[in-house]
Order: sequence, then structure tokens, then C-alpha cells
Amino acid sequence: MLLTLIRRELLDNLMTFRFAAAILIMLLLVVANTAVLIKDYERRLEAYNTAVQKHRQDLLETKTYSAVGLTAYRPPNPLSIFNVGLDKRLGNTLRVSYLYVPTLWDAWKHGANNAYLNIFASIDIVFIFQGILSLLALVFAYDALAGERERGTLRLVLTHPVRRGHILFAKYISAMLCLLIPLLMCFLLVLIMLTTSASVFLGTDDFFRIGGVIFTSFVYLSLFYLIGMLISAATRRTGTALMLAMFAWGFLVLVYPNMILTAIETDPHTDTETSVYNQIKQIWEEFDRERKQFLANDPVPGEDWDFGLWGDDGYTFWGGTDDSSKLLYYESTGFHFETLKEESEPQVPHAQNYHRFFGLQVTNTADRTWIVRKPALEMIYVQPAKKEQMLLKFSPVGLYDSATEAWTGTDLSGLQDFFMAGQRYQQAVVDYFLDNKIFESRQWFVAAKGEIDWNMLPQFSFQRSDIGTNAKRALPDLFLLLILNLILFAIIFLIFVKSEV
Amino acid sequence: MIWHIAKRELYDNLNNLRFVLAIMLLIGLMITNAIVYLREHPTRVQQYRSSATESLEVLKARTDLYDIALNGPGDLYKQPASLRFCADGGESFLSEFVDGGYWMWGYGDGFRDFWLLNYPTSNPNLLNIRPDVTKVDWVFIFGYVLSLLALLFTFDSVSGERERGTLRLMLANSIPRHTVLFGKFLGALISLCIPTVIAILINLLVISTSSAVHLNNEAWKRLGVIIAVALVYIFLFLALGLLVSARVRRSSVSLVILLLTWVIFVVFVPGTVASITSGLSSPISSDELRKRQNQLHNEILEAYIDRTGGDETPERTLGRSEYIMKQMEQQERLRREHLDQQITQVQQARAVTRVSPAAILQHSLEAFAGTGFARHLQFLENVQRYAREYREFVENTDRSDPESLHLIGVPEGMSKKPVSPEAIPKFEDTLSLGKDFNTAAIDLLLLTLFVIVLLSAAYLAFVRVEV
Repeated sequence: MLLTLIRRELLDNLMTFRFAAAILIMLLLVVANTAVLIKDYERRLEAYNTAVQKHRQDLLETKTYSAVGLTAYRPPNPLSIFNVGLDKRLGNTLRVSYLYVPTLWDAWKHGANNAYLNIFASIDIVFIFQGILSLLALVFAYDALAGERERGTLRLVLTHPVRRGHILFAKYISAMLCLLIPLLMCFLLVLIMLTTSASVFLGTDDFFRIGGVIFTSFVYLSLFYLIGMLISAATRRTGTALMLAMFAWGFLVLVYPNMILTAIETDPHTDTETSVYNQIKQIWEEFDRERKQFLANDPVPGEDWDFGLWGDDGYTFWGGTDDSSKLLYYESTGFHFETLKEESEPQVPHAQNYHRFFGLQVTNTADRTWIVRKPALEMIYVQPAKKEQMLLKFSPVGLYDSATEAWTGTDLSGLQDFFMAGQRYQQAVVDYFLDNKIFESRQWFVAAKGEIDWNMLPQFSFQRSDIGTNAKRALPDLFLLLILNLILFAIIFLIFVKSEV
Repeated sequence: MIWHIAKRELYDNLNNLRFVLAIMLLIGLMITNAIVYLREHPTRVQQYRSSATESLEVLKARTDLYDIALNGPGDLYKQPASLRFCADGGESFLSEFVDGGYWMWGYGDGFRDFWLLNYPTSNPNLLNIRPDVTKVDWVFIFGYVLSLLALLFTFDSVSGERERGTLRLMLANSIPRHTVLFGKFLGALISLCIPTVIAILINLLVISTSSAVHLNNEAWKRLGVIIAVALVYIFLFLALGLLVSARVRRSSVSLVILLLTWVIFVVFVPGTVASITSGLSSPISSDELRKRQNQLHNEILEAYIDRTGGDETPERTLGRSEYIMKQMEQQERLRREHLDQQITQVQQARAVTRVSPAAILQHSLEAFAGTGFARHLQFLENVQRYAREYREFVENTDRSDPESLHLIGVPEGMSKKPVSPEAIPKFEDTLSLGKDFNTAAIDLLLLTLFVIVLLSAAYLAFVRVEV
């Protein structure tokens, strides 16, 4: 009996105009946008490759350790085509230095072309689904019960020995089957376009991640179908049901997310910002005092930190950064020469001695500032973002968005993975410098005959987190979506069972 | 007779659930808009004032002509628009100032150009880890919400009556069909305007009663224009709703068609079309610009060393002027070229998005509210004009001093007379309503055309409709 009901509903739905129109429009939008997104991805990948290559070349040409500028580059995420999240937005170039622990806020962008283009909204696949799938689901659902009641066919069906639950279930299953067709067709098209593109490489894990996105989309779709069905069960007339469904859609998809994000007031944390920034500055001042003290007490008279060294093709630098909004403060001093004048040679051991002290102290200072800076950044930037994300989750759109972001690895945690890798890399480089006594070596500031083997230096490598981690991040939201589905179904069941035909 | 039909439609609508929901939705959005504006705008104005005065103070403190030429007038700030609540215009993606600087030649002592405009691009995204948001401004409320409401108010106005059979009844009377159509149009318009006007009034009431913001006469004029444009925009969607409703037999089908059209043209077309179009041209990247600038600089420096060679002599120092001027001119051209390429790319994309009425509304509302990209271009133009004035001032002051050698760019070759701070031109970021009409002219024209086409199509469809 259930099967008969499902078959009837399925045929009913498949033959409608709305079904054909929906498929056509979704495919059109998805194809047009995927083509643009793939092109964009290719451009970003190319910029990434050029940047990495150039960095490698620059590194090989560097003659001294203190002149080295190590940089970690973030490759674009191919799954950003599905949900771009923060992937395109945040910095993709991270300077790795012994002076500070690098974070997301210290990164900048390579290959960023026209920044004015930011005024246009960027559209990804999930965005299309968010808007259209939900609308479709509602359009399919609004007359599921109210329509049959209006036409009187519901009464007819119920004269047969069919359970009411079965009718509901049959309607749900058949509508979902119908809605699955455009969904899967879209994903299929996207996958075909992705695999035919020469520059997009997808691993096994990526296909599982895409599977996760598809499943989440399906659950999201089902949630909106159930919302529509609830409205349909609760109203007598299809006209009213349709109207209510559209208002529900407008509110949940369009109005609520934007309204809540516009209305929310974020505490700028100016006090924390200044106090932490001053603290960091103090730590550096302390370092400076100790350094001056060391220089005053060492065998060389005076407090000169360049020890009167003189040479060719030299470069002396003193400077730093002070950016209170990012809580970044450091001072960098140093010098390096291609060749050293003969008369400077006796000074070299003193300079080496100073650099031994300098290396130990400066890395220590960097670590100490990090202890203060990390929780402050968390409080000023991460917590408000998390709060907004949480508020968004009162709408299914927010849940869907954050779950798919987690699958594709373009959410905050996914991007933090890269910056964590950058921090680990920085630690490894500092450890390498300390363990191999690089700071106190002559090659810290003077180029030697035997060139430095840069391959000995730790290499930066970044792998996107494995599918397990993605799943772990996506599951809470997915779970919430599923529970909402169940609750709605239960409510519909109760209303429908009790309703008079 | 029209009025009779309109009144009937109006009563129909007023008793309807959608009317109540619409009124609640619009009022909620407008209050949010006003509150957020009142929270953010005073800080914005204060920030602008303090930074603009700071720049001015620095400029006033300078008296030496060379110093003035070298360091320039400091950062030039864009005046915040007092009608930002009407159109946010993606202002956070456009930089709020233009700065300038000089090149160090990295050769010899004190060998510098002088002040050149820089066009910084603001990239707030780099630090922003928050979720994406479309600001709830009037563009959002009219463009998205009100247009959707317009469709919801009209989708069943013809097809619904046909379904119920009342259309046949009405047409059995001696009423011309166009009267019926315009009566329906008017009815829907009035019933949509009631909640909108109430919401707008509440919004303006909240804003104008606050002491933190003061809207001047011109702002009210602009608001009038903005509301008029919004009205035309609503005409468009009402006409579209009537057209589809007249063509389609069943009201549910008509709503589905309308919704899909709406989603495509309002939500997706602007973004999609913009990204497709902007992919067609590729301006040089900022890395490339930097490379070219360095290259140019090195060429000129080499030419200078080749020509003069040897040790520093007073004559040689004075000979720098020629190279400094050359470098300045060419660097400026390079930067302008880069900026122009970027602007052209955005302009093209914006032009093509005009296939979407929502984008048209956005462009014209931005133009009249004094925000967004067109406004930014006007600001850049103001800045460039000021930079020319400033340079002319330097040249003229130098020329009027008979003791000067008139070698601009070299401290020894320029006038030594102290300059009075009042004489230096000050930057003023101005806006004129007439100019904004020009910017928005094409958008207004297109919008009106859309409305005329859709209204006549609705008329034809309804006249030919079989009852």
C-alpha cells in the first residue's frame, strides 16, 4: 500500500511544471557559476605556484641566515568551489620569522588583483542551493496536504484502510525522491566539470567530503520540505499555505541572517587591546634593556650592536612593526655582508658572542609575547565571530552553511589548520636555528665561501586535515539539522493525525 | 470606476494575512536599519573629522615650500555619507582615504621626489573572520523584501479571480478591461504602499529624533528622490506579477514562475554576471605594478648617473630637478593607468549587472545616497583635482619668488620664502545632486523602460486573456 501511495505521489510531482522549471534553472545557475569558480580557482592556483617558486629562488640566492625571509604560502582549496567560506578572503602568505609567532592576522595576500571587485557578492554552489533548494522544497510541499484537502482527494484516500502515518510518509518519500533528482544532477555536473579541468586534483578524501556536502544538502532540503509540510498541515487553504511558506522562506533565508548580523553589536574590546598591546611592548622593552646591558658589559666598549663591522654589499636594518589592532609589535635589528673588510675580522667573535645572546633572548621574547597575544586575539577576533556564527544557527541556512564549510574545510577551523602549521613551522625553524647554533655562526651575518645548504632547513608542508577531522567539525551542525527534521516530522504527524478531513 | 475596483482590491488585501506579515516584516527591518545607523554613524563622522583635522594641522605647520612639495597635504579623507542607511554601497570594501608619499632614490643624500598620489585599496577582509552579511539598508529592504512582497501581492490578482470565477462576473459588467487591470494595479500598489510608508516613516522618525545625527535640507531632497526611485521599482514588480498572473491559468503556477524569476534576477544574476564579466579583463596585479615602478625608477636613476657621473657638485645636485620631474610624471602615469584598469573592470561588470532590476535599484540608490562605487570615483576625481591644484600652487609660489632658481624638486633650487598656511589649498570632498542625477541617469532610464515594457505586456496579456 505504501508503495502505491509513493508511486502515485511521485508521478504527480514529476509531471508538474514546477519540477521542469526547477531543474532547468538550477542547472543553468550551477553550470554558469561553476565555470566561473573553476576559472577563479585556476587563477589562484597559478598565483600560488608562482609565489612558491619565486620564494624558493629567492631563498637559494640568500647568502646569510639573518637575511633570510621564510614564507609559508597557503594553496587554494579546490573544494572552495562548493563553499568558498573564508578560503578566498583571508591572507595566503605568512611570513615566518623568529621575531613573532605567526597568526592568521599577520598574513597578507599574494596575487590579489583588483580589490574593488570585493563589492560584488561571490556566489558558490552552496549559496545557490541555499536559496533555490529551500524555495523548491517549499513549493513542492505547500499543497501536499492542504491541496488534497481542498480537492477532497484526501477524504477519498482515507476511506481506504490506510494509516495516516503511511500517507505522510509516502508523501515525504516521494517528494524527497523528486527533489533529489535536481540536487544530484547539479552535483554530477559540477563533478564532471571539476574532473575535466586540468588543474583541479581531487583525492579520495575529497570525494568523501563532497559526499558529506551532498548529504548535508539533502538534509537541508528535507528540513525545508518539512517546514512546508507543517504549514500545509496546519492551514486549510492552499493559498494561505503558499503565502505562509513564502514568508517563512523570506524570513529564514533572507531576512533573519542579515538582520541579526547587522543588528548585533560587537564589543570592540579597546581596553583589552591597549593593555595587551602595552604588555607586549613592555616585554620588548625589557628585551631591549637586557640587550643594552649585555652590550655595555661585553668586552667591546660602547653599546653599538654592529660592532663597527664594515664590508661590501652590506645591509643594516633596524625597524619593526607596531600595529595595535593586530596586537603585533616587534623590533628587528641586524646586519649582513657579502664580504667583510680585513680590518673588521677581529670583531667577528664579539659579534658572534652577541648574536648567541641575541638569538636566545629574542626567541624567548617572541614566546613570551605569544603567551599574552594568543588569548587576546582569541577574545577580540575569534569569540565575536563564533558568537555571530552561533546566532546564525537559529536559521537552517546558518546550520547548512557552517556544516558544508566544515566539510569543505573552508571554515575558520579549516583555515586555522594552515596557520597552526605555520606556527609549527616557525617553531621548527627556531629550534633548528638554536640547535645548530645558527645565531652564533659566522654565516648569520657574513656570507661564507661554502654556500648555505638551504635544503637542511626545515621545509614547510601543509596538508588539509583528513576527512575524519572534517566530519568531526561538520557533525554537530548536521546532527542539529537531523534532529530538527525529526521534530518537525513528529509535529506534522501529530497535527495530521488529529486533523479533521 | 478604477477607483472602485482599486478599493475592492484594497479591502481584499487589508484583510489578508500577507498584509499583516508584510507590515511586521517591513517595520522590523526598518527599525533595525535605523538603530544600527544611529549606532554607527556618529562614530564614523567623528573619526572622519578627527583624521581630517589631523591632516590639516600637519599641513598648516609647514612653512617651507620644499617641505610642502615633498610631504604633501597628508591623507585625504572621504566624507562619510549621511544617507548611508539608504545604501551601504559596500563602503567597507572601498578605502576611505587616499594617501600620498615620495620616492627615496636610494642614491646620494636627500635625493627624493615629491608627493605623489597613492591609491590604497582597502581590504578589510584580511582580518575579517566573521560570517558574510548583506547589510540591512534600504537597498536590501526595497530590492529584496519589497520586491518579493510585490509579487506576493499580485500573483493571484488575475489568476486567482479566474480560478474562483469572479473575473467572469466582473467582466460581464460594462467595464473596459484596462480599467480592471489598472484598478488591480492601483489596489495592489496602495496596499503595498501602506506598510512601506509606515515603515519608512518609523525609520525616519527614529533617525531624525535622535540628536546624534542631523539630516540637512539636501539630504531630505535626496531622500525624496530615493523614495521615488523605489516607487518605480515597485511598479516594475507589480507589473511583472500582473503579467504572469494574467498569462497563467493557475495561481500556484503563477507564483512558482514569479518566484523563480525573482530568485534569478534579484538574487543570483548580479553576482553571477559580475563575476563572469570581471573575468574577461585582467588588470595588472599590484605586484606587477610594483615591479614596473621599480624598473622605471632604476632606468631614470641610471640615466641620471650616466649623464652626470662623478662626484657630487652643486651643479649636479641642481641637475636632479629634471630627473625628479620626469620620474614623478611617469610614476604618476603608471599609477593612474593601474587605477584606470581596475576601475574599468569594475565598471564593465557593473554595467552588465544592469540586466537585473535589483542591481539598477542598488546603483541609483547608491548614487543618491552618496555611497558605493560611483561615489568613490567621484571622491577620487576630487582628490586628483586637488592634487593638481596643490602642485600648481607649489609651482606658482615658486615662480613668484624672484630669488628662487625655479628648479622644482631640489631644496636648493626652490623658493626659501616662508609660505603662509592660509595660502595652501585645502582639500574639500564635495558632492552635488546634479552630478548624481547624471550618474544615475542611465539606471533611471533603464528602470523606467523596464516598467513601461512590463506594464504594456501586462495590459496586452490581460486584454487578450480568455475568461
